[in-house]
Amino acid sequence: MATQIVMDHTGDTRHYFNADDAEALIKAEERFKALTSAGFTAAVRDAAGDVTVTRSFDPGAEETLFYPRLVGG
Amino acid sequence: MLAQQLVAATRPLGRLLAECARRVQALREWYRTTAAATPEARATTLLREWLSPQQRAQFDAEGYFEVVGCDSGKRYRIHHGTSMNVHEMDDAGHSKVGWCFVPNRRLVAGDVMLAQKIALETCENSALAVAGFRQTK
Repeated sequence: MATQIVMDHTGDTRHYFNADDAEALIKAEERFKALTSAGFTAAVRDAAGDVTVTRSFDPGAEETLFYPRLVGG
Repeated sequence: MLAQQLVAATRPLGRLLAECARRVQALREWYRTTAAATPEARATTLLREWLSPQQRAQFDAEGYFEVVGCDSGKRYRIHHGTSMNVHEMDDAGHSKVGWCFVPNRRLVAGDVMLAQKIALETCENSALAVAGFRQTK
């Protein structure tokens, strides 16, 4: 089961989807585009724990984390 | 006779132990549904999931963890907090510069720290380009 994790005021909200389900994949891609368009950064973590930032939806990503745009404090 | 007395004497102890077990179970349930579900607890759980094993051990022991910037190779220490909590370290392990860059939405400390970690490890220059800073030595 793949997961999209969105940081928010509750800590995070998790969206689980079956990557083999075409309809679920379309929804996940739409969510990816909506979040990145809103300024969120998408980071993917692979099985080895390595993290990369991505700007395009990866249907094979097991875990994608979205965090809001960073600004100077 | 003696056996009956022993059974009678230990009956209250059994009731006490049963009551203690019930209370522990209730406390566990409260923690699972309340304390562990707070934003702070959720964010800390998420942070710990995404830290490397070395970072996780350091965070658990010290309350901070260190990352290496992907562009410069510099070492940064991320302390628990939501602002002015990132310190660039010198070779001697002292704080050299304090950096401040945070998500533009209100998030709890664990989430802020995780966003800072990923930014420094994957797009250091972009993160520092928007950051405020102050010399610390």
